[in-house]
Amino acid sequence: MEHESCRGGAKAMLNLQPNSSISTAYHPHFGPHDDLMLLEIDEKLLPDILHNRVSLRGQSDEEVVLCTPSKTYAVKLFGTSNFVFLVPPSDPSESSETASNEPVVASVLKVALGIMELVEVAPKLDKLKLLLMENPYRPEDEMDVEELEEIEKDKMGLFRWEDLVDRIQASDEELRAGLRALLAVEIDGYWRIVDEKYMDIVLSMLLHNAVLNGWSLNALKEDEVVGMLEADGFPRRLALHCLEMYGGQVREGNGSNGRAWVLDERWVCIHFARVVLKGGKMKMESFMDEWMKKIPARMSASFEMLEGEVLVERLGVETWIRAFSVSSLPSTPVDRFVVLFRERQKWEWKDLQPYIRDLRIPGLPSKGLLLKYTRKMQPTSDAEPVFSAR
Amino acid sequence: MQIQVKCGCREDSCPEWAIVELQGAVEAQPSFRDRLQNLEIGCLCRPSSEEKYTFTVGYHELSGSKVPLKKPLLVLKKKRAFDPEESIDSDPNSSRMELEVIGIIRQRILFKTRPKALISKPQPTIKEKKVTPPGPFGN
Repeated sequence: MEHESCRGGAKAMLNLQPNSSISTAYHPHFGPHDDLMLLEIDEKLLPDILHNRVSLRGQSDEEVVLCTPSKTYAVKLFGTSNFVFLVPPSDPSESSETASNEPVVASVLKVALGIMELVEVAPKLDKLKLLLMENPYRPEDEMDVEELEEIEKDKMGLFRWEDLVDRIQASDEELRAGLRALLAVEIDGYWRIVDEKYMDIVLSMLLHNAVLNGWSLNALKEDEVVGMLEADGFPRRLALHCLEMYGGQVREGNGSNGRAWVLDERWVCIHFARVVLKGGKMKMESFMDEWMKKIPARMSASFEMLEGEVLVERLGVETWIRAFSVSSLPSTPVDRFVVLFRERQKWEWKDLQPYIRDLRIPGLPSKGLLLKYTRKMQPTSDAEPVFSAR
Repeated sequence: MQIQVKCGCREDSCPEWAIVELQGAVEAQPSFRDRLQNLEIGCLCRPSSEEKYTFTVGYHELSGSKVPLKKPLLVLKKKRAFDPEESIDSDPNSSRMELEVIGIIRQRILFKTRPKALISKPQPTIKEKKVTPPGPFGN
């Protein structure tokens, strides 16, 4: 330790024996020491910190957060009106033989003005989508990325994992989960969101090939699917991404049996609903007609699948439907409810629930969310409760 | 921007610091305020085998106890890490700031009571190796 100190220090003070005393003095290097800070932490975070797995993240205009491998914490400074004397340990290089006739002193290096505390928060992932949407992946637009300068890459909305860590206030695990939730894919080392129209082309081609070749949508062989799409001119990584986006793995690859996938009926049906509603709101009958035409022959669609994806309104005698996806909404509760109540002043619980069930505030259960951000009206006990803005 | 929190010590060997906490303030006489280093503040005594302590500052005596902290405190030091290989026109933010854990605090000696005024010069109740003169503090 670079702190020169007298014999004694923290250990002598904390181990003070019964019927003894220790002199307390200002340290030879006593001062403001603004570079020293006190951070209160939970015992359970100690291993991560001591093994160098913790970092602070944030841009200069953001409130700093502390990230462990899996969680994010806001750092709050609490001042104190008490006098908090900070006593360092004594210099370990001093041996007990030298200066044994010097008094034992506990030296105060600094008076602490406050203590930093950690408050668990949800990761701030809205920025991630903004960044990745700057340059959605479209193969025909792609330039030779390697030839671009670093600065240009940044301007072009191209981000590697390290670039995202630098910009997003979330732990590594939460950032990975955020990328998965956005269905982002790593292409040539850069994390990309694939342009929607392009994904539609890939998926449609996959389904077309399935029909032509008699493939079962419950047991698609990865090698066959990817191989055929590649032959059709699609990048291999995107073909695989299509399976990842719209399906789930059924079988791990081993030896001669490659991986197998099953297409998820719900995600495929939602995809086609979004395509149909791209042009804006439609009358319910027209929508259902168009939607059913697009669903693959061996799949069946039900309206319940579109929970959290569409809004239905009665205008006069007609029922209209339009796209409104929970994935397009802000992830922080305050902002989410602002958008929801701007869309509709009053919500019945059954309509509201799909749009808030993914919200998370550490320490606050979902009922608490409703209490905090909405006003509930329920004229009679068996009437449907209705929620509006606070 | 990412600032790594580094720790050179292992779990069981993180240097332990101590905290003495007083409600109220300790002030030096004006003539001493700019040269506090090495000045004695007072005497911390443990009169019995209990974890009870007295802290005598000037002519006041405080009573308190040693208590374990509910949550440990880490002592962090901010450092600027300079990379000698950096070129002149690289990003100034890349002479990165680092935080290092240099200590841990698990206990504090807390004094919450009103100070008791000692009406005469404090007599050492405990034999010391060296007689310490009263410090230059008023209150």
